[in-house]
Amino acid sequence: MIGRAATSNRKGGAVAAELPVGDRGAIWRRRIAYAILIGYALLMFVPFAWSVITSFKTLPDSVRLTIIPQPFTLGGWEYAFTNLTPPLPRLFFNSAIIAVVVTITNLVFGSMAGYAFARLRFRGREVLFLIVLATLMIPDQLRLIPVYLLLNFLGLTKGVLQYAGVMLILAVSGTSIFLLRQYFLSIPREIEEAARMDGAGFFRTFWQVMLPLAGPALAAVAILQFQGTWNGYFWPLIILQDQDQYTLPVGLSQFRLAGGMGTNWPPLMATVVMATIPILILYLFFQRYFVEGIAASGVKG
Amino acid sequence: MAAPTARARSSIRLERRSEAIAAYALIAVPMILFLVLNIGSIFYALFISLWKWNVRSGPVDFKGLENYGTLLGDPIFLRAIQNSVYYTLVWVPLTMVIGLSLAVIVNQKIRGRTFFRAAFYFPAIASSAAITILWIFIVSPDGLFNTVRGAMGLNPLFELFGFGPNKNWIGDQDTALNSVIILNAWTTSGTFMLFYLASLQSIGNQVYEAAAIDGATAWQTFRHVTLPLLRPGHYFVATVAVIGALQLFDQAAIAGGIAGDPNNALMTMVLYLYNAAFSRFDFGYAAAVGIALFVVIFGATLVQRRLFGQAPSW
Repeated sequence: MIGRAATSNRKGGAVAAELPVGDRGAIWRRRIAYAILIGYALLMFVPFAWSVITSFKTLPDSVRLTIIPQPFTLGGWEYAFTNLTPPLPRLFFNSAIIAVVVTITNLVFGSMAGYAFARLRFRGREVLFLIVLATLMIPDQLRLIPVYLLLNFLGLTKGVLQYAGVMLILAVSGTSIFLLRQYFLSIPREIEEAARMDGAGFFRTFWQVMLPLAGPALAAVAILQFQGTWNGYFWPLIILQDQDQYTLPVGLSQFRLAGGMGTNWPPLMATVVMATIPILILYLFFQRYFVEGIAASGVKG
Repeated sequence: MAAPTARARSSIRLERRSEAIAAYALIAVPMILFLVLNIGSIFYALFISLWKWNVRSGPVDFKGLENYGTLLGDPIFLRAIQNSVYYTLVWVPLTMVIGLSLAVIVNQKIRGRTFFRAAFYFPAIASSAAITILWIFIVSPDGLFNTVRGAMGLNPLFELFGFGPNKNWIGDQDTALNSVIILNAWTTSGTFMLFYLASLQSIGNQVYEAAAIDGATAWQTFRHVTLPLLRPGHYFVATVAVIGALQLFDQAAIAGGIAGDPNNALMTMVLYLYNAAFSRFDFGYAAAVGIALFVVIFGATLVQRRLFGQAPSW
């Protein structure tokens, strides 16, 4: 808009007609600008393309500058599926179960609390909402030790319960509540007042009237939370002590440190690809919600 | 107007009460979690930081403020502060400039702007672990970066700076932190672009029309109209960026391990905390590090408030 506002003043056409040389200059400037843009966009994709290509290469071939694997092999994927501890499918399952549960709990608790803070009157509402906002400003590192000790005390750092430990920490975020509250505030009051007149209680009004209207906000929260949890590193690293419970990011970082695996690029890149694909698919289909969620929340570091 | 009857009044009171009960039921789970895991944690952390604390048996020795004293006297902690501050001072402006440039570009009516916007944000969707492993591969001695610059004949240029053809960028202590800075500038500039886009779109068209009537060039318009009007955007992006930068952990821990190798080059404040807790199991000390970290972040936020003036109304 800026460049256009500056160049599209009404005299622009006439000036260009008098000065064809300047016009040609503008065309060239535009071409150069597009070349830079496309070049920069390529820089965004090339590393990912390289990880896909490398996952189909042999180890000696992986350090060569060839786009087509010579020879093409599934060896890296086979290694990742069978020889890693835990194997790639297990990592994928662990990531998926934690991300799915955390997304659902955020939608449920976030929409309930968001609705209450947006619409219902109760004593202490302002103070309690301030607490919600305050959670966004408390760095995770500050609560690392107390939260770890608490989960340890509750037995949530052992065995299968480690899943529950991570889920409990991430169960509902201030961001989810905040985003949904903002959305509920934007829905006209008349709609739910009509429902209340018909004798619907608060829960039924919430469930049958307000929730169906909040579709776009729920979608944005779901995507934000799924992506954040799927990609999350800090809390899973702290809580998941057993290899069998590792998520993809934790597994990846441990392979890097494990003897010999650190530079076995094909299986490492296969794991990188598997860690990225679910979010990539979401991004291709729901790009709008990524953009809106980020712009609206802005709180996630 | 007739005064409401006692009956009507009590029905209103009943209605109010059921509204409040519904509200408390709806917010109960998150509020309990927040009070325990967030608010309660702060006080618990303060308490723990005054003790020598054993993971299993709890408090061992009361140490008062000794943990904080030890902290300030530890050269590795000072190194961690130095690294985190350097990272913040370089990474934040760099990423803000890239993000703003991208935002200004995709905010124009150019062909394919939706594609470019999606492309520039793309690296931000991947997990920090996946992207760090990928980056380590790319800048490793035999990695893509070194082979491409060799193939392009750029090695003599790098030689001028003393970088050999098989430079281990993230594994050598003189370039490790800068490698992480470039990695994170690459992945995060798209996010900052989105923040800036929201800010750019809130600027009305009239100011640009006025600038055009005054005959301002594109650069003058940007320099004297857009940039000053983006002040709330700068404040927001800078605050988020500095808080994130001071908490640098994932990339440093994955590339440098728990000790921030090589030779503490990747030791950051949060990595130091993690190290104290899970390598030395000194929980009281680690809690003190957490409090110190919070104070640093909070202080940085206050400084920015002074620099950029009042926080915008949102």
